[in-house]
Amino acid sequence: MEDIAKDILVKASQGDMEAFEDVYKASSSFVYNVAFRVVNNREDALEVAQEVFMIIHQKLKTFRFESSFKTWVYRITANYAINFAKKNSRAKTVPYEDSFGEGAVLSEAQTRMDQEHQSQLVEKLLAELNPDQRACVVLRDIQGLSYEEIAQALNININTVRSRLKRSREKLLSLRRQVDYEKV
Amino acid sequence: MKKCEQIKDLILTDYIDGELDKDLAGSIESHLLDCSDCRAFFKEVKDNAAMPFQKVLQEPVPSQLWSAIKENIENENQATNPLADFLDKFRGLIIFPKLVPVFASVALMLLVGSVTLNTVQIQQAKDKDQGEYLVALLSPTSSSTQGDNNDLGTPIEHYFL
Repeated sequence: MEDIAKDILVKASQGDMEAFEDVYKASSSFVYNVAFRVVNNREDALEVAQEVFMIIHQKLKTFRFESSFKTWVYRITANYAINFAKKNSRAKTVPYEDSFGEGAVLSEAQTRMDQEHQSQLVEKLLAELNPDQRACVVLRDIQGLSYEEIAQALNININTVRSRLKRSREKLLSLRRQVDYEKV
Repeated sequence: MKKCEQIKDLILTDYIDGELDKDLAGSIESHLLDCSDCRAFFKEVKDNAAMPFQKVLQEPVPSQLWSAIKENIENENQATNPLADFLDKFRGLIIFPKLVPVFASVALMLLVGSVTLNTVQIQQAKDKDQGEYLVALLSPTSSSTQGDNNDLGTPIEHYFL
């Protein structure tokens, strides 16, 4: 997420729509992409991103600059998306093994995959995780946040970040092995 | 063996995420050079549990998102802003001149109506008086009676006559 100058944040907090548009431009990619990957659905992601920006707009008036604006946005986005995903968990329509194609090995397939295929694969892998694990994986592997930033965003202990990532990856490996085993 | 388990735990988290300090990361790299099992595990984790997410591109933000947010904010401002309330009331006053021609037309119609009605009533009263006068002139009894009595019927007329 891009940095935003303090004077723009102050103007936006006073109701200046042009300044708020600058805030939107700097943070919309992060907000939308985290929302999309955590709720794992484009339509819901649009709704979540819209609500997140409404919360930012309403609460910006009370933002005291004691913490980083980025961390504040991370927190609002991640928490809203996790809660939304927990309330609106949708049935999986495509089984995990279908996402790899016939006999493909993921490491070899990566080189051939176009971005759409890559995106669909990620969608299916994330569908195997619960919303809390998904948020950790999205913030770490897709958005590139550090463990400390993830802990602050989700308001959890740094060791909880570690254990969620560990369990998520173990689960993905176990599913991968299961798929390979069933094909033999 | 125990060391391998510990290293695998670190591979799953801090090592693959670059969260280890240089010394510890270096010692794991040395171990990976010597241990084929841990090396295979590292490749498996990287290929199946980390790289697919790290390789994916950011999705483009749909263009309708900003317009929806802007519209929501404008609606919210209108609902809560006292200035907007005042402007709404003021807008009511602005609508008022549009009704002026309607009120003016109704008033004009009422005025014309009442004037016409008055004129008709006066004319009817005049016609009635004139008729009674003519009847009185033409009636012989009435003229003699009037002449005898000089009775015009009102006290003021009595006074002057």
